[in-house]
Amino acid sequence: MATDDSGANHKESPQGGFLSRYVFSTDHKTIGLNYLWLSLFSVFLGMAMSLLMRVHLVWPGVHLPLLSSLENSPERFAALTTLHGSLMVFLVLTAAPQAGFGNYFLPLQIGAREMAFPKLNLLAFWATVASLAGLTTTFLIPSHPAITLWIVSVAVFWAASLANALNFSVTTIDLRGQGMTLPRLPLTVWAWFINAILGMLIFSILLAACVCLLSDRLLGTHFFSLLSFIANQPAGVIANAVPILWQRLFWFFAQAEVYVAMLPCFGLVTHLISTFSRKPVWKERLVVLALCGVGVFGFCVWGEHMFSSGMNPFSPLVFALLASSLGVPATILLISWIGTLWDARVQLNTAMLFALGFISLFLSGGLSGIFLARQDMAAAAVSDDFVTGHFHLVMGVAATFAILGALFFWFSKMFGRRLNESLGKTHFWLTFAGVYCVFMPMHWLGLMAHSRASSTSALASAASAGSAMRNFITVAMLLTVFAQGLFLVNFLWSLFRGEKILENNPWYATTLEWSVSSPPPADDFGPRDPVVYRGAYEFSLPGVAQDFVPQHIAPEQVVKARQSAE
Amino acid sequence: MPGTTATPDIEIIVEDIGGGGGGPVPPPGGGDDGGGGDDDESHRRRDWPASPRRYSTAIALGLVAILMFFMALASAFIVLRRGSGVWVTVHLPVVVWANTGVLLASSFTLEAARRRLALADLRGFRKFWMVTTVLGFLFVAGQLVAWRQLVAQGVYIASNQGSSFFYIFTGAHAVHLLGGVGALVYVLARKFGETTVSRLTAAEVASYYWHFMDGLWIFLLALLYLGK
Repeated sequence: MATDDSGANHKESPQGGFLSRYVFSTDHKTIGLNYLWLSLFSVFLGMAMSLLMRVHLVWPGVHLPLLSSLENSPERFAALTTLHGSLMVFLVLTAAPQAGFGNYFLPLQIGAREMAFPKLNLLAFWATVASLAGLTTTFLIPSHPAITLWIVSVAVFWAASLANALNFSVTTIDLRGQGMTLPRLPLTVWAWFINAILGMLIFSILLAACVCLLSDRLLGTHFFSLLSFIANQPAGVIANAVPILWQRLFWFFAQAEVYVAMLPCFGLVTHLISTFSRKPVWKERLVVLALCGVGVFGFCVWGEHMFSSGMNPFSPLVFALLASSLGVPATILLISWIGTLWDARVQLNTAMLFALGFISLFLSGGLSGIFLARQDMAAAAVSDDFVTGHFHLVMGVAATFAILGALFFWFSKMFGRRLNESLGKTHFWLTFAGVYCVFMPMHWLGLMAHSRASSTSALASAASAGSAMRNFITVAMLLTVFAQGLFLVNFLWSLFRGEKILENNPWYATTLEWSVSSPPPADDFGPRDPVVYRGAYEFSLPGVAQDFVPQHIAPEQVVKARQSAE
Repeated sequence: MPGTTATPDIEIIVEDIGGGGGGPVPPPGGGDDGGGGDDDESHRRRDWPASPRRYSTAIALGLVAILMFFMALASAFIVLRRGSGVWVTVHLPVVVWANTGVLLASSFTLEAARRRLALADLRGFRKFWMVTTVLGFLFVAGQLVAWRQLVAQGVYIASNQGSSFFYIFTGAHAVHLLGGVGALVYVLARKFGETTVSRLTAAEVASYYWHFMDGLWIFLLALLYLGK
């Protein structure tokens, strides 16, 4: 499949029709943007679903347009939960930071003009669209075919991700521009690259699991013993088992996602923090090693899980949640971020705020992970509010913050206009306060549920406090969701009316994408190939007039501070 | 060194070092091309895409991914085999051994074809390449015969875990091998004139895949045979 991809040297003219410019374009920038549009659509769809679920939990009697068709059946609710999770985790958290920003900026940052296999890239994008369509359809059809369709859609998604991972790793290995040695790669590229390698290893395991699950469902084989156990039970038992099956299936596939989604976010946040602290990344080599560590760790956790249990989707869920706290490499990253921020002239623009928000969320999520690591606690809290809170804080919201930070950072490069900063800051603070108000009480609820049953009076007070808290969560969540409307307004308004960017490098950043016009020309770098002379984070060098030196500036072009002062 | 890079927007003023006496400093560390050469030369845009190396890299990484796919299945086989008290053995049909011989032979004819190609003997290359393709088809047909024989014995995919694994292993391998046959046909049919990929590269990449499929089949066969 890779060998017949010979269209790399062929560039279509930007004057083509809508189809050739947007739908069938093999340009990496168009495909990257298409992924981002897909994620934007999915995130609002997923958010609408969480709203439905929340309203359903607090006021089960209320009839909402879509919800009344749920008929309060636990199975439909489980299907809704699974769909919310699939959309958010697969199409937002996986697709946006890796396939979206990665496709757009990986070639630009390494000095390549294309991805290694542009046609494969296009194919992968449309396979992802097909999987989104499949996932959404599962909600509309009866449960048994829906689960099959869900597995097929997920398999298609992994296959597309696998093609993407192949494309990313080959591009990083073979298409780097002149002078772009491995130590000079920006950390974003490192993160995308390591993530692609991790994906190459993990996604095919997932595909194997999909094949086995599908043959169990369609051909009557017996790879997953518990599935066949469920199938052999009388009808009443099955009805109870189906919602659990839905959720377990989702977790089975989403485990690996913790790493796949977080890795590019680590890269993005490190990049943002260095740029807006005007300081080099503290211990850059160590950060690269830590990113590799996250990848190796992620693979080991997953591989061990898959190999030793023979791919049983019903092995303990706790395992995944423990693993999500990432351990040593996360600590190294955290120390490096703090080391970079230490004593820096921090520029608090919206992109930086979101990066700092990411650190805060990641830290508090990690702290609650310590609670989960206690076995007895975890056993009681699984699939409870505590886990919901922990998981959303550390992965869902934190990763979304990294994505938003990257969007505020790169929006000007992608569209030639700036996102509105004051609207962006308002959006940030509302969201930041909102997610803490939603997910922190959720932790507390989980703890209360655990410590309950001591005495009847305590039980009653806990229950009443619990219901008050649930209402608080719901209100906070409604406000947070509406705050996202602010983002949507800002996004759409800035897209058409935003302040135009006149310079190539508004942030005074160092990497190669800032050396070209905004938006970049069709062939990325114009008539000359870029040449790289230095590392990616040369900020505030002693003896240099400017506080940054872009990667494409030759040593003899750098102005010495002494001379410029004369 | 004024004027080599057009960076009007960057606010770093180009410094004039003593009348431009010193030659351009090539970027340390070297790039993809490796050609030091004239500065102007190295700045001009390359013929895109530059390196056919990406095909070899892609096939190497792709093979790792395929290996992981089969390793996941193999580990499931081993775990389930060890864990189950009543494991019904699947007796491998005799034709499987003949198929193995056919596949092994195809690897040798493939190498013979590549040697002809290296000697610029295009006719010989085509002949041996064609033989390889036919052997590939023969192998897949043979696997179908093996399936038919098992079905005739009343062993279906859903009969027991052992038979499930036999069908899944052979089926997944056959699908991958058909991809390889497709690649062989493609190399045979494509005109390599002005294209960026040379026939040598294409044949090399296809041969990696083919030998890998060959080795993978030996591994799967050993697994099924020893796991009886």
